[in-house]
Amino acid sequence: MSWLAAALEWQSRAVVARHLRVYMRNWHTAFLPPAVEPVTMLLAFGVGLGGYVATLTWQGRPIEYMSYVAPGLLAYATFMTAIFQSLFAAFIRMRFQRTWEGQLTTQVALPHVVWGEVLWAGLLSTMYVVIVAAVLAGLHAAGFLHMRVALLPALLPLVFVAGCGFAALGLCFTAIVPTIDHMNLPVFLLVLPMGLLSSTYFPLANPVLVALSVVNPLHHLAQVFRGILLGGPVAGHLAGVLILSALMLGILVPLDLRLLRRRVLGD
Amino acid sequence: MSGLLDARNLVKHLGGRRVVDGVDLACERSQIVGLLGPNGAGKTTTLRMLYGFLHPDEGRILVDGVELGRDLVRAKRSIGVCTQDDTFDGDFTVEQNLTIAATYFRPRPTDLARRVAELLERFELGPYARQKPETLSGGYRRRLMIARALVHRPRLLFLDEPTTGLDPQARMGVWDLVDGLRAEGLGIILTTHYMDEAERLSDALTVLARGRVVARGTAKGVLGDLVGEHVIVVEVSPGAAVAAWLTARGRGEPASVLGAWHVPVSGEELAEFARAFPALRYEVRGPTLDDLFMKLSLTP
Repeated sequence: MSWLAAALEWQSRAVVARHLRVYMRNWHTAFLPPAVEPVTMLLAFGVGLGGYVATLTWQGRPIEYMSYVAPGLLAYATFMTAIFQSLFAAFIRMRFQRTWEGQLTTQVALPHVVWGEVLWAGLLSTMYVVIVAAVLAGLHAAGFLHMRVALLPALLPLVFVAGCGFAALGLCFTAIVPTIDHMNLPVFLLVLPMGLLSSTYFPLANPVLVALSVVNPLHHLAQVFRGILLGGPVAGHLAGVLILSALMLGILVPLDLRLLRRRVLGD
Repeated sequence: MSGLLDARNLVKHLGGRRVVDGVDLACERSQIVGLLGPNGAGKTTTLRMLYGFLHPDEGRILVDGVELGRDLVRAKRSIGVCTQDDTFDGDFTVEQNLTIAATYFRPRPTDLARRVAELLERFELGPYARQKPETLSGGYRRRLMIARALVHRPRLLFLDEPTTGLDPQARMGVWDLVDGLRAEGLGIILTTHYMDEAERLSDALTVLARGRVVARGTAKGVLGDLVGEHVIVVEVSPGAAVAAWLTARGRGEPASVLGAWHVPVSGEELAEFARAFPALRYEVRGPTLDDLFMKLSLTP
């Protein structure tokens, strides 16, 4: 069984189905954060910060700050959902609930567990983004935002792929941090810098930050979403998202497997 | 009888150390094989290789005729595993734990609802079906772990210290269940630290020490080979003379328990001991697996 083929095997789907079943049981509380978060963020950044920065220049044209932030929120929701699912939720399942060990006593093998976590994080990101998009569409209908809402569904395949890539990155840390307290390290050394240097909430102007953002998949994701929803160039950043996601999946999933084989199986 | 497990010449290195060194193990239908040994003997590593957690560096494992290394997924369809620690899914109820476990097998267990109801009844879990597993007592948690390992109707069951931490009544309840599973034709590999459990339940024992099989057979045969026919229990206080007697026979200091030496001897040696110490007060008893463990622990 190759590590890649395991992604398509029934065992990986069974793991995803298990996570989905748990999640849907608590749907009324689970769906609340993605519905409330964009409203809070738009209030904080759009109305709050937007009061000082009414418009800014994007792709050589003026644009309302609220409309600039909205696509960024979708990218940020993708990133944060996938990375936190693969960091904290996966760590809890691996270490405290021992769900993985229980699964591994069946026909499910470690590559299926890992792919199950990656695919689930991608799926959960997509579900969250659907809710955030619905809220944004409502705000658009109410006249608070201006964007091409009819194109929102076109973002979803990208959300899924990028979410899977982010999850592969998160699982690397899940595999190596000794305790859940050490999760502060990836959060402060990786998640926050990636989030802040991504042109999600503000455009990057400093040449050093711009250069760094080339290797930040979240930056490309925010810019693709902005290009699609506000009307702008898409191809370059789309290639950035796809290439970086493919690299994360192609390099980090085998690395995750190697690290987790040692940690979970003791091999 | 048909072979459900046939493991040959298993070798495993972990951390640069050869922790399993040429272990053979077999189990047939309606047979319980006790896998024993002191801590660090290689039991857990052997077990983890047998149920597919670890890949052996050398050797071959056949499960119900399927080579584990070649077709792990197919081989694991025949295996049920009850790990030493509770690994049930805390996000689900007792009943849901059984149904969710069934989704991890193909072909799916037929008539799943009936199978789950049957297991709930048999393991007396019915009243707790809608409770979360963490609300159960230790004995019922173990029952759930064993029931979950059986949901897909395996032919070979691994029980890794199934009664550790249970009170005597709960332990005997688990024994009855295990005995019933054997009667239904399951092959069972059992590890335990409770010697009475191993003696009562196992049809055959395999004893590991330092990664190697040091004895196999019935409990009586293993004890005779490794411990001796009798055990003399004598106070340590007048020990100088006894120690000298042991040294003269090339024996080291025996296991000491609560101020008493437990000296395994043959029938001939017992007669010699009686002649050598006519005035000494001591007790003679039959050997137990506890003696075997103590002997293996003392052997460098």
